[in-house]
Amino acid sequence: MDFCLLQVAIAAETDIVQVRSRTRRLAELVGFDLQDQTRITTAVSEMARNAYEYARGGRISFRLTGEAPRRTFEIVVRDRGPGISDLDGVLSGTRKSATGMGIGLIGARRLMDDFEIVSKPGAGTTVRMRKALPANAAPTTPAAVKDIIAKLAADGPADAVAEISRQNQQILLQLEELHERQEDLERLNQELQDTNRGVVALYAELDERADHLRRADELKSKFLSHMSHEFRTPLNSIMALSRLLLSRSDGELTAEQETQVGFIRKAAQNLTELVDDLLDLAKVEAGKTTVVASQFSVASLFGALRGMLRPLLIGDNVVLVFDDSQNMPLLDTDEGKLSQILRNFISNAIKFTEKGEVRVWATTDSVADTVSLHVRDTGIGIAAGDIDIIFQEFGQVAHRLQGRVKGTGLGLPLAKKLAELLGGTIIVDSVLGEGSTFTVTIPRICRVGEPQEIYDDWSIDAERLPVLVVEDDPADSLAIQRLLAGSIYQPLVARSVRDARRFMQSVRPDAILLDIVLVGEESWRLLLELRSQDAGNDIPVIVTSSTGEVRKAVHLGADDYLAKPVDRDRLIDALDRATGRHSTTRVLLIDDEEVTHYLVRQLLPRSQYRVWIARDGRHALDHLSENRPDVILLDLAMPGMDGFSFLSRLREDTSFAGLPVIVLTSSVLHPEERSSLSSTSMVISKSELASDTLVNAIGSVLGAEAGIGAR
Amino acid sequence: MAEIPILRIGDCLLVSIQVDMHDRLALALQDDLTQRIVADRARGVMIDISALEIVDSFIGRMLNNIAAMSKVLDAVTVVVGMRPAVAITLVELGLGLTGVRTALNVDKGLALIRRIIDNPERDDADRER
Repeated sequence: MDFCLLQVAIAAETDIVQVRSRTRRLAELVGFDLQDQTRITTAVSEMARNAYEYARGGRISFRLTGEAPRRTFEIVVRDRGPGISDLDGVLSGTRKSATGMGIGLIGARRLMDDFEIVSKPGAGTTVRMRKALPANAAPTTPAAVKDIIAKLAADGPADAVAEISRQNQQILLQLEELHERQEDLERLNQELQDTNRGVVALYAELDERADHLRRADELKSKFLSHMSHEFRTPLNSIMALSRLLLSRSDGELTAEQETQVGFIRKAAQNLTELVDDLLDLAKVEAGKTTVVASQFSVASLFGALRGMLRPLLIGDNVVLVFDDSQNMPLLDTDEGKLSQILRNFISNAIKFTEKGEVRVWATTDSVADTVSLHVRDTGIGIAAGDIDIIFQEFGQVAHRLQGRVKGTGLGLPLAKKLAELLGGTIIVDSVLGEGSTFTVTIPRICRVGEPQEIYDDWSIDAERLPVLVVEDDPADSLAIQRLLAGSIYQPLVARSVRDARRFMQSVRPDAILLDIVLVGEESWRLLLELRSQDAGNDIPVIVTSSTGEVRKAVHLGADDYLAKPVDRDRLIDALDRATGRHSTTRVLLIDDEEVTHYLVRQLLPRSQYRVWIARDGRHALDHLSENRPDVILLDLAMPGMDGFSFLSRLREDTSFAGLPVIVLTSSVLHPEERSSLSSTSMVISKSELASDTLVNAIGSVLGAEAGIGAR
Repeated sequence: MAEIPILRIGDCLLVSIQVDMHDRLALALQDDLTQRIVADRARGVMIDISALEIVDSFIGRMLNNIAAMSKVLDAVTVVVGMRPAVAITLVELGLGLTGVRTALNVDKGLALIRRIIDNPERDDADRER
């Protein structure tokens, strides 16, 4: 007979308490008296603790075994821990564990009738304890065992409550942990914020330093350009005087003297070259160099260079070859600067090539629209590590031709600066001892420098009407300058409200374009100020903005409002309205032929004429009153309403009485047709259509019509 | 965490262990008690274990420790209300509570503490005998 009553796992320290109470209850149920219940419970408690302490847990099973007179209550405690290494020592009491717990095993053995322990290092420990059931205990039948198990189960709820409280405690612990983590995070966050502040402060410092450096660099450039000029004057005197001496106009020189003066002259010449290079470099750095773009071909550039540089070739050891460049596209950039870069490359190549050739050729990249010019030599080459040095001012690399070849060390830095000025780059490809290839790559069409030229130029053009453009965004102000280019309005940019006030002290603009976005409240204040002063309250102000504050603008006294982005027609119209000028002649073309549309648009300069189109007379009449032109160009043969019917309808309306009409026709007119056109100003044959005939025709009819138009 | 209440009676602390203690709770009690002894300047500590059904080696050692620590802190520890079955088991287990004074119940325990506090020399003499 063998009944298993219960199996319990020990996984946590609190499980020991559970095991204890279960053991006591079981011992009671199977029939032990109080004293034995305490003994068994104590023994199990010791073993359970051992299993938890030394093996981080285990299992305990309780069974009833044996037949009637010799029934026993058996408890087996199993763990999978490291085992007990000196079991005999522990059991004999000669050895106590480090934690002083050795007493557990010995004590438990004393408390039970039978005690076996099997332990192998690494394979866990099994303890089997038995206690004989008292003779008066209830008989062990399946029914009795079932009853015991049922009673045990009835204790369950208490255990469940304990379990819940245990879990609650765990949750509390975890919450506490979470809280700690949150605190950690907050601390970390704080730390990061501090760091961030530090970084911002560092940035500010760096900016300041950069500013210092920039100023120092500027000073240096100014100094150089100034000094170079000062150097030149005495140098020129030396050169002139030595030339005078050598010409013997002041008497004969001895051979010795002639040699000495020759040296003086040579030295002065070298110094002049150095000063020239310095001056060029300083000019580029100070931003004083302007790009003067013109159209030229690579072939003509090569031709000029060939002539200029041939004198540098001494002897027959080095040949200078320019490859054919007839197929290259035209360049539109600064020829002088490009030529200077190439001169530098080629003269260097010749200097550092003892024997072989210097080849110059050009390539083009149609996608990027760039042109590359290459100069390859078979000279001494440059070590990879030295390539950076040669682009530094006064940087020179030690080489075996040092004694023979002289240079200022400024040529390549200057070439690099010039290339950058043209929007390009320089690449060097070199193998020590085999030669170098210098390549400059620049945009085929140079656009650098344009913005600076029109920027903040407050010189007034007497022919045009000054318009003050208050705009802090350079891109926007540039756009407005472009839009007004060629019109009668001269844009004068003020980048701040302060500049604008300064400007108005000297010049009274015909209109003001006021940007709202950037300057914010400041620009509104300027508007209010203008309106409250006697001096400025009649200057028309047009507010430009992308924020759409039309009502505010009008309320504060703006004459007009333009939403950004602004286009040319709207801008000119607004300025015309504001100034009461007629800066453009408004031309209505009534014609069905697209060729004529195109022609007229091309023939009339866009800056002075605004052309819009109607495809027939009906269409034209529909829009005539809302958009009144200065002059009408009328075709006669059109589908729908033709030119004749249009004319008669137009003349019926008295409000268009003075409106001049120029007839464009491709056919020869009958006399009666001519007479019906008597109300028109002029008839032009389409075959005669050319820019000056059209412009003259419009000019003369407008002049005849009571001088409408501003020009 | 549940904790075992420590009550103050005059210059004595009374601990009544009403639950089956798990080991950590026992250790916590040890800490709490020593702190309270200092904080309350207690001269005596009485531990009532009448509700404990078993005292195993760990709890026995804990009681010993508490007695030793309180002695260092100039307080006397008396354990009262031990059940007979527990006492027998303790002896069989081979765990004499050698450093701990015991009394049958709370009344006798209080009297014992009072006597020892009043005549410390006699207490030491008792021991030596």
